[in-house]
Amino acid sequence: MMTDEEFESEQLELSLLETLDHVLTRGLVLAGEITISVADIDLIFVGLNVVLTSIETAHEVLGARAQRGLDLQQRALTPVAPEAAPVSDTEGESR
Amino acid sequence: MNLYAYCLCAELRPDALDAVAGIAGAQVRVLWCDEIAAVVSEFEGDAVKVTREHVLAHERVVGRVLMQMTPLPFRFGTLTSEARLRSYIETNESALRAQLARVRGCVEMSVKVMRQRESDESREVRATQVKIDAQPAAREPTGIGTAFLVAKRRALVGDETAQAQAEETARWLTNQLADVVRAEQVSVRPSSALLVAAAHLVERARLAEYRERVRCACAERGEIHFLTSGPWPPYSFSQENP
Repeated sequence: MMTDEEFESEQLELSLLETLDHVLTRGLVLAGEITISVADIDLIFVGLNVVLTSIETAHEVLGARAQRGLDLQQRALTPVAPEAAPVSDTEGESR
Repeated sequence: MNLYAYCLCAELRPDALDAVAGIAGAQVRVLWCDEIAAVVSEFEGDAVKVTREHVLAHERVVGRVLMQMTPLPFRFGTLTSEARLRSYIETNESALRAQLARVRGCVEMSVKVMRQRESDESREVRATQVKIDAQPAAREPTGIGTAFLVAKRRALVGDETAQAQAEETARWLTNQLADVVRAEQVSVRPSSALLVAAAHLVERARLAEYRERVRCACAERGEIHFLTSGPWPPYSFSQENP
């Protein structure tokens, strides 16, 4: 169960994320006059898309994507049994 | 020395910014250009670091103005000179006045719609389905290229379903709140955990009604998760570069 302190801390983080989402991606733009610096690297433009989610959920989402990529890769590399394999996926196109 | 620009507004009481510190603790002042006031402070340096303190200082100053009247906030990190700022306001005066009139008496409210976290049960059902899908059907061709394309097609169908779900949710939300908002900006983002991000421009006098309507809407759709916040300065309604 989440304690009051943890809840308050999560609310503060959420509030900061919401603030970042607003102040960094929206608002009036004076063309060419926004220069901000993140980790000592000057940026003219920041394309920030704050995803509001817990770290756990983010890991789940990223994990599922990575798994899907691995599945596709594995299927592509799996040798196919000779009797089931067509000669070529493009055999009808050969001239 | 640069000027850091926070926001523009149509009127401002002289004491509105008393005792509010700007970026890096700088004193905040008002620069009048005809009848438009620019809220600024001095800034030493060529770039503004994105730190918690700076972001909160920016929001604190704009928030202070919002307590008195609705401003057009500048994006974080806007550094300029007095001459350039005056030139910008003079050049775009009519468009800025129109934007100020549009947001007058309003605040921005935010509604983010997120996918509900899966329950253990539904996760198991989905995992089983994935395993079943992974088995080649008896009559399905199993060539390498075909298998790749079949898998690709499944992924695309999944993406299309997510897109359709997000668009339906956005339409539903718009319909629920149409008569209590003056304007809205909606972005549909089905590829992320966030399905829909909506910003609503709401008249201050109708805030209680708006909140009640959002509360009812959230209760109606228990299968999705809502994150509401506000009132904000109208960042989403100050985006057009006049």
